[in-house]
Amino acid sequence: MTAISDREQLSYIAAQAADARVNVELETEGMTLNIGPQHPATHGTLRIVAKLDGEQVVAVDPVMGYMHRGYEKLAEVRTYPQVTTLVNRIDWVGSFANEVPFILAAERLMDVEAPPRAQWIRTILFEMSRIANITLFLGDMGLQVGAVTPAFFAFRDREHVLNLIEAATGGRFHPNFDRIGGLKDDLPAGWITETKRVMKKMRQYCDEIETLVEGNEIFQTRTRGIGVIPADIGLSYGLSGANIRGSGVDWDVRRDNPCGLVHNETDWKVWTHPDGDSFARFWVRLQETRESTRIIDQLLDNIPSGPIMAKVPRIIKVPAGEAYVETENPLGVMGYYVISKGDLTPYRVKIRSASFNNISITPWLLKGVYVPDIITILGSLYFILGDIDR
Amino acid sequence: MSRLSSTDTPTEEEAAPEVDTARNELVARFTAHLGEGLLESHVDPGVDVWLRVSRESWLEAAEFAKSGLGFGYFSFLSGIDWMPSPFGRDMDSSIDVALGNDERSEIDQTIQHGVAGGTGRFQVFARLNDVVNGLGITLKVDLGDDLTVDSWVAVYPGANWHEREAAEMYGFSFTGHPGLRPLYLPSEFEGHPLRKDYPLLARQMKPWPGIVDVEKMPGDDDEGDDS
Amino acid sequence: MGLVESGKIGGGLQSLLNMSRKYSMWVYQWGLACCAIEMGAAFASPRYDVMRLGVIPLPASPRQADLLVVSGTVTDKMAPSVKRLYEQMPEPKYVISMGSCANCGGPYWDSYSVTKGVDQVVPVDVYVPGCPPRPDALLEGIVLLQERIQNEDMAERWKGEPIVID
Repeated sequence: MTAISDREQLSYIAAQAADARVNVELETEGMTLNIGPQHPATHGTLRIVAKLDGEQVVAVDPVMGYMHRGYEKLAEVRTYPQVTTLVNRIDWVGSFANEVPFILAAERLMDVEAPPRAQWIRTILFEMSRIANITLFLGDMGLQVGAVTPAFFAFRDREHVLNLIEAATGGRFHPNFDRIGGLKDDLPAGWITETKRVMKKMRQYCDEIETLVEGNEIFQTRTRGIGVIPADIGLSYGLSGANIRGSGVDWDVRRDNPCGLVHNETDWKVWTHPDGDSFARFWVRLQETRESTRIIDQLLDNIPSGPIMAKVPRIIKVPAGEAYVETENPLGVMGYYVISKGDLTPYRVKIRSASFNNISITPWLLKGVYVPDIITILGSLYFILGDIDR
Repeated sequence: MSRLSSTDTPTEEEAAPEVDTARNELVARFTAHLGEGLLESHVDPGVDVWLRVSRESWLEAAEFAKSGLGFGYFSFLSGIDWMPSPFGRDMDSSIDVALGNDERSEIDQTIQHGVAGGTGRFQVFARLNDVVNGLGITLKVDLGDDLTVDSWVAVYPGANWHEREAAEMYGFSFTGHPGLRPLYLPSEFEGHPLRKDYPLLARQMKPWPGIVDVEKMPGDDDEGDDS
Repeated sequence: MGLVESGKIGGGLQSLLNMSRKYSMWVYQWGLACCAIEMGAAFASPRYDVMRLGVIPLPASPRQADLLVVSGTVTDKMAPSVKRLYEQMPEPKYVISMGSCANCGGPYWDSYSVTKGVDQVVPVDVYVPGCPPRPDALLEGIVLLQERIQNEDMAERWKGEPIVID
């Protein structure tokens, strides 16, 4: 966890300056390169129009909207349980986490609190969706840099977590398990023992990735010093999650502003890294996955017993008001601003998705980097298209 | 269902303070700085704080929040359309109110505003966070008939894309924005989708039948169950 | 006039050629949304391995593929790209539409920016329902497509007219 050395940083800057000199001498013409929308390297349908000068980027303009499905308009004509079904599909890799802030906002407006057992199981599933999401990232980051093998590892090990989520909720992803006032069902028998076993396996997987990817020389050369984001710029763009913690900002909504989730009942720590480069972001996410497994282990030991669902009417009409709840989702901070006028359907739902802000920094960040580094930096920022485009 | 028992579960409710000193102090400092510019404010103790400012002091409020109060984190910016939808959506009704349907004229079209009030049909609202103290504020501003307000890009560069989205979804314009191109919608798209009078055409053609079992489940000869 | 397009090859040879074709398909994955992850699980994970059916998921270019799997929501902005890339594939080509969004618009049936089904843009051979369909369901869709290929009449295909199978 050492900071990038001055020598490495200087050598990168010298290489860029050398390129600039070559470009001036040769008087090259700029070229516009269009990456996407269908491209094996982008995480979905993101189109990046890059103006190049030789191998260096002069300006970058991400074009999005290829997955824009109109969530905010659709949420106005669906009832609250129907919106829950829809909202699962925003961040489609760690999907239980999408439902939670919406349900918490609706519960705040209805002034209903879920019983303790439901809160604990919600937190467990929330952390499991984080593991499911970030394991994919850990394997995928290798793919961005050029190593194909970690991706297969990722898919294989994710299956264990997805099996558990399916056993509890019925769906591998898109569980649609959260309800206003609690959860849909209780846990099946034997789930707790099985989860403990799987968490041990996930820790082994993290160790594997540490040796295979993080310790790899090529990976380190390609990610150290690349895509450095200073902390105050990151904050003013609204970066969140591991992206901002990789720049040294100690901010985690699970610890600072938990509403209805019980992370603070356990003993856990927030990981930060001072460098702010792509390696730091990868490292923070790896540590967070391990931390999640520890949180789940502690929560499993102490689940309270009791009812799963509070008393709510069958047809849910939420009283008038406005509420904003944000939680620390796997991709960053996700929040829902729900305005209700007392109807069956919400009046306005503003979805604050993490990847939208995370990617808004790319026009600033990608100036002057080389073309292969575009892919690495985008991979380290880790977005999901459904989260950007909603 | 598990047995009902009250064990030693750690209770979640922290005693919500009746007086929220941190948030009240925020409101006081805003009032001191903006004076007439702060039109209305609302504090939900222990939970959240809303502030509505005038159009002229929208940019000043952002600058003060960033440099004076330590709210360096820009969360989001968007708009609200307070006019009730002319295409009513009552789940008790058997059909959506379609174009040409008489029920449409009975829908109440008076504009009611939410927390911290408002005037006019459209509002822009934004959310800022203070990562050191863990506080967040929501700022609202009313737009006049010309739907124009200052852009925040000079203060928070992250507002760039949010304002582009609000502009194409509602038709707002932000003075001082480097380039209000459409963000999500294809270039041939006409209209502003998030306005309440923009219809969802698929629902006009085939209205949602409500919470009924449209077809009998196989083997259900006698009783159909409402789901 | 070649042998195939004039219909001069006999039934045995035709079924042999069809069998070799169906067991050597190269898939161009058009992974758009959530179904892309299930498609990835079907293709890349060692549990729902698709290579045992003879289908190789490797090509990154449409010019080398003969099966297109559209998985995920197709929006109006994306639809021209689907059509263009479909036209770049050489014949004979097949399309599997995976998931409810690609079949008919799915949960976003009333959205202003979603194409209600990819069959409005390209002709589809097999529809795999689900939201998202399990990887096993996609494998069954591929097996159904293989059955269809086995029973195809190659002369009709060569002529380029729409295939109608009773």
